[in-house]
Amino acid sequence: MSKWHISRRRMLKGLGASVALPFLQAMVPPGMNYYNMPKKPVRFSCLFMPNGVNKEFWTPERYGSNFDLSLTLRPLENLKNEILVLNELMNKGSIFPGADGHYAKDSNLLTAFPIYKTVGDNLHSGGISFDQLVAQQKGQDTPFDSLQYGMERINAGIDGAVGFTRLYGSAISWKTPTMPCTKEIEPRMAFDRLFRTFLPDNKKKDQTWKQSVLDLVKEDADDLQRILGRADQDKLEEYMESIRSVERRISDQERNKAFADQITPEIQKELIHLNLRIEEFNETHVGVDITEKTRQMLDIMTLAFWSDATRVTTFMFGNSVSNRNFSFLPGVSGSHHQLSHHQNNPAQLEEYRIINEWHVDQYAYFLERLRSIPEGDGNLLDNSIVMFASGLRDGNSHSPYNLPVLVGGKGGGGLKTGQNLQFKKETPLSNLYLSMAHVMDMPMECFADSTGELCEIYA
Amino acid sequence: MKPIITFYLLILLFSFTPLFAVDKEEDAEVDHVKVIQPIVEKHCFSCHHDTKRSGGISIKAFFMGLEDQFEGRIVRGGKLWMHIMETVKTGEMPPAGEPNMTVEERETLLNSVNTILIRSLNANNPGRVVIRRLSHNEYQYSILNLVGVDYDAKSLFPADGSGGAGFDNFPNTLFLTPLKMERYYDAAEEILEKAYADPQKWRNMVPKSYKPNLFTRIYNWFLSLFTGNSYVDAPMKAAEEVIIPFASKAFRRFLESKEKEAYLSLFQKVYEGTDDKNRFDIAVMETFKAVLISPNFLYRFEEEQPVNQPYALSNFELASRLSFFLWSTLPDSELFEVAYREDLQDPEILTKQVKRLLNDPKSKRFSESFASQWFGITKLKESSPVDPERFPEFTPSLRESMYQELVEYFHYVLAESQNLLDLLDSDYTFLNEELAQHYGIQGVKGDELRKVTLTNRNRGGILGMGSVLTATSLPIRTSPVLRGQWVLEQILGTPAPPPPPDAGELSEEESGAENASIKDLLVLHRSKAECMSCHQKMDPIGFGLENFDPIGRWRDGYGDQPIIAWDTLSTGEIFKGPAELKQILISKNELFARNFSEKIFTYAIGRNVEFKDELYIKELVENLLENDFNTEKFIIALVNSYPFRYKVNDESAKFRILASN
Repeated sequence: MSKWHISRRRMLKGLGASVALPFLQAMVPPGMNYYNMPKKPVRFSCLFMPNGVNKEFWTPERYGSNFDLSLTLRPLENLKNEILVLNELMNKGSIFPGADGHYAKDSNLLTAFPIYKTVGDNLHSGGISFDQLVAQQKGQDTPFDSLQYGMERINAGIDGAVGFTRLYGSAISWKTPTMPCTKEIEPRMAFDRLFRTFLPDNKKKDQTWKQSVLDLVKEDADDLQRILGRADQDKLEEYMESIRSVERRISDQERNKAFADQITPEIQKELIHLNLRIEEFNETHVGVDITEKTRQMLDIMTLAFWSDATRVTTFMFGNSVSNRNFSFLPGVSGSHHQLSHHQNNPAQLEEYRIINEWHVDQYAYFLERLRSIPEGDGNLLDNSIVMFASGLRDGNSHSPYNLPVLVGGKGGGGLKTGQNLQFKKETPLSNLYLSMAHVMDMPMECFADSTGELCEIYA
Repeated sequence: MKPIITFYLLILLFSFTPLFAVDKEEDAEVDHVKVIQPIVEKHCFSCHHDTKRSGGISIKAFFMGLEDQFEGRIVRGGKLWMHIMETVKTGEMPPAGEPNMTVEERETLLNSVNTILIRSLNANNPGRVVIRRLSHNEYQYSILNLVGVDYDAKSLFPADGSGGAGFDNFPNTLFLTPLKMERYYDAAEEILEKAYADPQKWRNMVPKSYKPNLFTRIYNWFLSLFTGNSYVDAPMKAAEEVIIPFASKAFRRFLESKEKEAYLSLFQKVYEGTDDKNRFDIAVMETFKAVLISPNFLYRFEEEQPVNQPYALSNFELASRLSFFLWSTLPDSELFEVAYREDLQDPEILTKQVKRLLNDPKSKRFSESFASQWFGITKLKESSPVDPERFPEFTPSLRESMYQELVEYFHYVLAESQNLLDLLDSDYTFLNEELAQHYGIQGVKGDELRKVTLTNRNRGGILGMGSVLTATSLPIRTSPVLRGQWVLEQILGTPAPPPPPDAGELSEEESGAENASIKDLLVLHRSKAECMSCHQKMDPIGFGLENFDPIGRWRDGYGDQPIIAWDTLSTGEIFKGPAELKQILISKNELFARNFSEKIFTYAIGRNVEFKDELYIKELVENLLENDFNTEKFIIALVNSYPFRYKVNDESAKFRILASN
């Protein structure tokens, strides 16, 4: 890059954020002009926290850009200018007759529609989740259109008390209204799926015949379609779709090469390091402190964004109603869901808050990781939108009003971060999705029950 | 709707008989939905619509959308409609203050609803099961039987959810996503490589390898020069003898000739495209890989016949249902042979096979899968639900022993004692040294679980088992509410409704002080009207089990506070301690029978119990009551039942026309 190149960032610093920037030829890298300068893709991620928050210590004092972080949001101290705290949003899809408990408020966090009340017969999330819409439109140039990660296995059984299958509580990403995405919960497997082949000692698998094998089973599926009833055919379509997706991954040489080219020596160094950490953790893991495991997952997501393996991810800190034992945190002795039903007992409220803060701390870790990676004129975080949310506000009353929602990253320059914003009471959460779509240049007229955009968040 | 109510309502329904003794000819002319709709519209909609839902019921919801679906919806909601008709009949509805129905309106309404419901029961509708992917259990055992490799599918594959009555073999909650497909492919590769590395296992699958010696190779080459025939004839023949039996076993049927060709041509392609000296094995392995990811292997399905009435499953399809039900795996060679040479639909032949499968050790897979999911203890297999600091004595080995105790016990009940009521109470259980010590029982040595006779009857049956008691506790303390609800739901099949919307969770969870809270809880729940009606049903049962601590040990008090383990059930029975509580549950064995019948029906067939199944369920319940809860007779009856052996196509509209004739 020649010396006369001036980054937008430095311009901003020099001029102060209040001045609208004129476009200067000097900001364009050599050999480029305004029209062919490659725009870095915007990445989208959503981190889901189960069981709500201690509401007393969530919302920061004062609104606008001059706000003080609340006790629970303290871990974001160094990131205050990179985040938006959004207040008074609610998911209206989570209010319907029979929407008791958590499932009806978590499973549809990203669809903003009511889910069907069912123990399994007609699973339905109301709609395609926002992340999957982004994946459809923005994920087609990367090896994976999206990735779903989490920390807990799907809970077995049905919740007889509220009449939902627990499957609902294990998914926020819905590829179709009737099919949840499968999430990966083991760092080892998540890592290997993306990066195994880029480790130095890796033995490449012989894939000579893979396509022939897939061709044959596709034929099997075609034959099968002919002897099945309609509902069966619909179900088997999942199989066809999955085969096609596996095929795409082996046959698209160009994309595979493009991905391999992205793996710079720097990224490879990180990969080797993370691989060792995962190995070490699996050997010494005693099953209590899950901070390291969570961070490994977040690191894999960071690397996936960095290497452009994908541009869309979701991460569930726990399943809906998660009752993870958080006694490894100083000041906590008990489990998450249990403590979230604090009954206004001050001691339990504080334990609940400490658990909330742990989640925010991991979120801050992820944002810091993204910020540490230079990209274009800025860093990876500048080109990302990282949402953090829970489907409940107060876990004790299962309140779906005024959800705790944070958004980190500048979304490629479209977001005005560093604000604590209060919207009108009961503003639809879907307005946020519509606005984020806008920031990502996705054509979208409305999303679920959206009533407008959150103009205050635009840069 | 709760099964118990259904059961009584069913009896009630049949007592309506004079009301629906309708003239058959006239009946065919009348569209009963059209008769019902204006009456309920006039009298019921104003309160029972979707947003108001008085009493949690929306009658309007039945009459929205496409008109030709109304009747199907009424049938599916049949239990609710029986309840509605009962309130109309007694005059409870429409309520005082609202305009009454005229006598004629009431009679017409009752008549038409009953006609629709009765018609659905008489329609002999076996229902249909949607195509389903193998559950991870079924995959693991199928691979074991097919390849001989034990692949831990449950740990290695992303988990599935549960549906229906809470089982992981429910079609609508088993998905195949791209990630899972990748895993299936990788698994097939890994499994076959493992088998290949073990000559014994490989030879079981590939008894004849084709390895031409030098002479044959020259001879073949020589021949090909003159005849123009491909020199691969010999290996192709060898391959056919290996691949076709393997694929038939995997697909649970014979292959169509088109399929044979397709698989053999894959073999040929790989064989001819490889130079390796083991190319025969390599080509076989690639072909097997295709078998293991084929939808014919990964899915259980039944071919749809082009007919409008219910039809019997084919012999092979029935063999599959049976084998996956009792063994969680593919039919073995004997069952396959019987399906091929004899008529499995013949009750005698079918019964003989059921007995054989039940007596085989493989039936323990059913015991484990069914019982661990029914009683909700699968979570113990994976991780500890209790707080490790509070209960360091709850070791992984103890947890495993608890889990195994229930599995062994259930299997013994199924296969040996054959008395299902032993689940509720008995004088034996299965213990090893660690678990016996945990229970305070002397004289059991070693790690092996074995049958032990109990002297203290508080312990016998699943309610005295560590696994159940732990799974129904909170991490640091017991929860009478959870235990009570568990008994209502899993044993009696009469769960209490959920707490009112956003009423907050059960308030016992907040109180930290173990010894103080129990009494307070009792008082609190019974002082609030909105809590009382349900907690009155749950709490007393839970208190009856308070002598068992959060990890299932016996205790006589909380520290120095005494335990109040006596109470009165909402139905009036008085008891003191677990042993007496169990006797009360045994006296409610009809509820237990019905709940068990519904659970196992769902597990075995793969769909939820619906109103139209009432008669079949009733037969199953009677079977238990008449045969002293004999398990073998019950399973034979279930497998011989119409819904197990038949299916109907999914076009409900067509079926309805048929049913009304």
